Amino acid sequence: MHAATDKTLCVVLGSGGHTAEMARLLQGVEFDRYTRRLYIVGEDDALSLDQIAAVEVRSSVYSGEYFVERVPRSREVGQSWASTPLSVARCLARTARVLLYHRPDVVLCNGPGNCVVVCVVALVPRILGLKRIPIIYVETFARVRTLSLSGKLLYPLADRFIVQWPQLLDRYPRAEYIPNLV
Amino acid sequence: MSVYVTVGSTGFDALVRAACTREFLQALAGQGFRRLVVQCGHSIGLFKPPTTRSETFGIAIESFDYTSRPQRLVEQADLVVCHAGTGSILEALHSGTPAIVVVNRALMDDHQSEIARELAKDGFVVVAEPATLASAVSECAYAALRPYPAADPRPIGEIIDEETF
Repeated sequence: MHAATDKTLCVVLGSGGHTAEMARLLQGVEFDRYTRRLYIVGEDDALSLDQIAAVEVRSSVYSGEYFVERVPRSREVGQSWASTPLSVARCLARTARVLLYHRPDVVLCNGPGNCVVVCVVALVPRILGLKRIPIIYVETFARVRTLSLSGKLLYPLADRFIVQWPQLLDRYPRAEYIPNLV
Repeated sequence: MSVYVTVGSTGFDALVRAACTREFLQALAGQGFRRLVVQCGHSIGLFKPPTTRSETFGIAIESFDYTSRPQRLVEQADLVVCHAGTGSILEALHSGTPAIVVVNRALMDDHQSEIARELAKDGFVVVAEPATLASAVSECAYAALRPYPAADPRPIGEIIDEETF
């Protein structure tokens, strides 16, 4: 019955604040259309799992299933720069394996550190002419005048770039301003 | 009337210290508050309120590290004092409880206070620093705050649909 709309939504989650906000944003998404949700979580995020469960619990009777995949950080704070290429490679490899296995149809993120890697890897199938996986970026409510680092990096790459304060439109005209999302 | 002070998921030493000063308790009593509940996070060791009734101005004081139901405590309170984390601010805004948002100048990252100051400018919250908390209570500006509009995240669902289908 739902075969025509069996889509996989990939949501990138980070620490506390980002996840709490993402849970609010997801209230606006029909899980009956995205019958598989893939949550990519940073390795050290215990807080997010409780919140994912809370987000998922509110869904209707038939709304598919969800998966949680942990991905190591590309670099730890204070890590030596000599070892960084190796940890970045590990992170990229793990992310690629996760996306290859779950084959998401769309990626939604709101700025935690790991989202840049996920989005970059999600762009590869498009570059290779295989599959377009749209990237939807929503800058956090906390950013009024400046973009976060993830936002700056993903502004040229995202298919839709949403900001929650109008002041950001001056410097980022390609962004879409939507108030009262959270 | 009760006040709920929350530092969120980490700690906020300066706020926790400010929340147990005589000055703060006196300001609360002056506004008719009789109960103070403080969620301290990592800073629990710094919460040392006075113990004699005259020094607490008759205010009943409770404290704990963390709670699994922060939203409930925010809704039940008559005033919320929270750190400038997005999650806490949103909980306060949607609870209907007036809020004093306390910014942490010790954190070098000043974008943290951007959201608090913007919301204060628009009349949705009062903004203060730990050092000015007691006077923010006495000034009672929190009694004239505007109600915050309800959230509607459906545009996000629509945008995702537009790109995916």
